[in-house]
Amino acid sequence: MASYPPAPPTGRFEMYSWLFMRVSGIVLLVMAVFHLLLMHYGIGVEQLNYQVVATRWGSPWWRLYDFFLLLLALTHGMNGARILMDEYLRAGGWRLVLKIVLSLLYLLLLVMGAWVIVTF
Amino acid sequence: MRVRFDIKRYDPEKDEAPYFQNYEVELGETDRVLDGLNEIRWRQDGTLTFRRSCEHGICGSDAMRINGRNRLACKTLIREVGRRVRIEPLLGFPVVRDLVVDQQRFFQDYRSVLPFLVNDDPPPPRERLQSPEARRRFDDTTKCILCAACTTACPSAWGNDSFLGPAAIVQAHRFIFDTRDHATVERLARLAGRCGVWACRTAYNCTMACPREIQVTRAIAEVKRAALLGGP
Amino acid sequence: MLERTSFREGLRYRGGSSMWAWMLHRITGLGVLLFLSIHILETFTLSFGPDFYNNTMELYNTIFFRVAEIGLLFAVLYHAINGIRITIQDFWPALWRYERALVWAGFVILIFVFIPLAVWGLLPVFRGEL
Repeated sequence: MASYPPAPPTGRFEMYSWLFMRVSGIVLLVMAVFHLLLMHYGIGVEQLNYQVVATRWGSPWWRLYDFFLLLLALTHGMNGARILMDEYLRAGGWRLVLKIVLSLLYLLLLVMGAWVIVTF
Repeated sequence: MRVRFDIKRYDPEKDEAPYFQNYEVELGETDRVLDGLNEIRWRQDGTLTFRRSCEHGICGSDAMRINGRNRLACKTLIREVGRRVRIEPLLGFPVVRDLVVDQQRFFQDYRSVLPFLVNDDPPPPRERLQSPEARRRFDDTTKCILCAACTTACPSAWGNDSFLGPAAIVQAHRFIFDTRDHATVERLARLAGRCGVWACRTAYNCTMACPREIQVTRAIAEVKRAALLGGP
Repeated sequence: MLERTSFREGLRYRGGSSMWAWMLHRITGLGVLLFLSIHILETFTLSFGPDFYNNTMELYNTIFFRVAEIGLLFAVLYHAINGIRITIQDFWPALWRYERALVWAGFVILIFVFIPLAVWGLLPVFRGEL
């Protein structure tokens, strides 16, 4: 055993990340595709205005739907971007800085999205 | 027929950058790419450097990129590659000279998954028996010859420099699914971390590159499942 | 733990259909994330009142955005269908034998869903309404 290298870093974060990408992916397949088809083909982007959103968000269920869509899609996307950074940037200072920027961007966009859904 | 070899050459002590050199060799269509390389080295240019040992697809020394894909030169026939053959060293390793690469990192990863039987039970009088069904469970991954064709074909391994790579996972699979082995928990812990199986994106380059036709991506998926469920 | 390989060398490797599917998965994923970020910012302008929001939404009614929408549609559909394929292959390893067939099946489904929706979405452009 002595001549064998020590164990590579263990820990289960990457496993949960992997599982999350698959589970959220399946949920998003239904939620995001439905949202896209409804907005672009059901309602139509050219019809979208303040009044249409107000009518739609009159129902708390739509607000809940949009919030979960925001949470899942943004987390799925930002986690994907984190994985790309891990794979294509060298370990070290710059990668750490960019990952912190990415985390802040994630939190900012999440708060902005949630804020408008809740307070509108 | 005349076969043209475009070979990527590089001597770090003399050359500033790698370059391609062309050779023409007379070969039959059932000759192997390795026969062409030997012909060049023996009769045309003794400075051409490459590894080969058994020459019969068992030792795993002569894995290289042939026409852009990882293969063993001794298992690739001229009729499979045509009259123009482009030969480059494996990706992801420092080039020692021409087609010879420094595989130290590869073997370090291999060792880190504990590629040996761990069983502290007192040895039985004759041997540790196993049913044919239990043996069949990991039969496919016993075929690995450690040629590194899969690991250096893996897009995740090209980018993610902490990924252990397909070959190490194949070797781990061979023991994880062996009923006689007792280190499954330790091995799975090493493979469930950030260097392990989760960097695999199911791109199948490893399976396509394996000269032993091991179902590498399948083996990795089985290790993923074992890591998720906590055991084989 | 290989040394990092450059994009150029990686692109020159002759991988199979799954490698190209994987590459497109990353590109479409990044594209959708970019749109999602813009979409959140644009939705946030709802807090600035009806006029501001309605003016922002006017931006979408241009040919550029209408065509970009079709790109978004493609990216979302591709990422969704290919993601499902990868998930299926991860959880049912025995399907490795049908890897190529599954990639192509995904493409066929994508084309059948995407083409009609793309034509429908571009109708206002064809009619010269934008």
